[in-house]
Amino acid sequence: MTAASPRVGWNVAERSTPIRVLIAKVGLDGHDRGAKVLARGLRDEGFEVIYSGLRRTIDDVVSAAIEEDVDVVGCSILSGAHATLLPKLVAGLRAAGAGNVVVVAGGIIPEADRPSLHEAGIKAIFGPGTTIGEVAAFLRANVSAA
Amino acid sequence: MSAQPDHTARRALAQSISVVERGGAPADALIASALEHLRQAPPGAQPLVIGITGAPGVGKSSLVSALSDQARTQELRVAVLAVDPSSAATGGALLGDRVRIDERPDDAGRFVRSLATRGSGRALARAAAAASLLLEAAGFSLVFVETVGAGQADLGIARLADLVVLVEGPEGGDEVQAMKAGLLEAADLVVVNKGDRPGADAAAERLRSGLALGATPVPVLVTSALDARGVPELLQQIIAMGASRTADGRIRRIAAHLVARAEGRLAERIATADGDGTLATLARSVSEGEMPLTGAAETLLGDGRSA
Ligand SMILES: Nc1nc2c(ncn2[C@@H]2O[C@H](COP(=O)(O)OP(=O)(O)OP(=O)(O)O)[C@@H](O)[C@H]2O)c(=O)[nH]1
Ligand SMILES: [Mg+2]
Repeated sequence: MTAASPRVGWNVAERSTPIRVLIAKVGLDGHDRGAKVLARGLRDEGFEVIYSGLRRTIDDVVSAAIEEDVDVVGCSILSGAHATLLPKLVAGLRAAGAGNVVVVAGGIIPEADRPSLHEAGIKAIFGPGTTIGEVAAFLRANVSAA
Repeated sequence: MSAQPDHTARRALAQSISVVERGGAPADALIASALEHLRQAPPGAQPLVIGITGAPGVGKSSLVSALSDQARTQELRVAVLAVDPSSAATGGALLGDRVRIDERPDDAGRFVRSLATRGSGRALARAAAAASLLLEAAGFSLVFVETVGAGQADLGIARLADLVVLVEGPEGGDEVQAMKAGLLEAADLVVVNKGDRPGADAAAERLRSGLALGATPVPVLVTSALDARGVPELLQQIIAMGASRTADGRIRRIAAHLVARAEGRLAERIATADGDGTLATLARSVSEGEMPLTGAAETLLGDGRSA
């Protein structure tokens, strides 16, 4: 393989283009270091990463996910509002006809809250200490062929 | 909570842009049907496609956001194509323009899409021309195309856009730079952004005196994307210059698409020849005097069967 035909980040058997990921930061906190590290890391893993910036609303994120036609929305939440915001995001995507978009969350989410979030359609929750490689592997395995 | 905005049309458009990004027969079919739709439509005003170019960080995205808000006050339907580079090594890309472009989820008259260059090796994505044709068919009247932050000449945007706006920062714009940089040659309009900072007016003056040496006078405006100063005037200027254009923008964009498509095929051919050893074989033949340079170059360009 030459550099002209990169393979990393592609679901090689089925896809010919990179997986597109929207990294969204919702809630009022102004910390986006983690989100930026993830965005850069996934780029280096061969993903096309759209970064939304700080303090987006759920409606903003749904609309951006639609316009960017992403395969994945990665939502970073530090403000503790995950219990209401994350299910709203999944519901918003479904209502917009984009229920196939894989929604994953990052941030500090207590163990006790996880079952209900999974039930609401959050595919994975990546706590502190998750490596970029783990996130990338999960996304490659869970995004269906385009 | 507000009513759920209707995303149906937005989603269809977004998916069709993904199809043209992937290329191949499905892309050709989509573009053909968009063109058929445009042929059937009553002849109306074509959209104005505005290229926004300039060095990294001068405020292109922020300015596009402010211009879009301004255009919406005039009921113009606005779309943005924001291009950022793909990594040649991994194929990945960090598309960060959207950070600076305000989201308006309830406004169906606005559409923003990020495009990765995906191996074009240019300041534009190969799919940009095709995407702008799809946006035209979807009824947008203003289309902003933000290129990769480029400090050097990349005239691809001049092929695609009806009007090229070069954005400068308040520090830039010395005369010599103005004369030597290829980007200035392609610019129909120059904007000194970050006008809220000291030095912007002086930079504009320097640019004006540098540009005065050229054949046609290029207007130089000062804006601030932060407080929208100068933005209404800039939009007015863009629309006025757009109204006086004579060339057929649709023909221009189809031509730009044909070029992008041909470049894509050539890149594929080179990658294949690189991968299967044909390129090395050709080079060896030239080295050993078995093949003339022209013959080898033509073989690489051609279908390879003559090799
Ligand atoms: N003071 C001031 N800052 C601005 C203005 N416009 C943009 N900025 C800031 O400049 C930085 C870069 O702005 P962008 O809009 O991302 O610039 P860009 O040219 O799109 O950048 P690239 O796409 O990375 O090349 C951001 O921090 C903006 O907030 C302005 O008019 N005044
Ligand atoms: Mg930008």
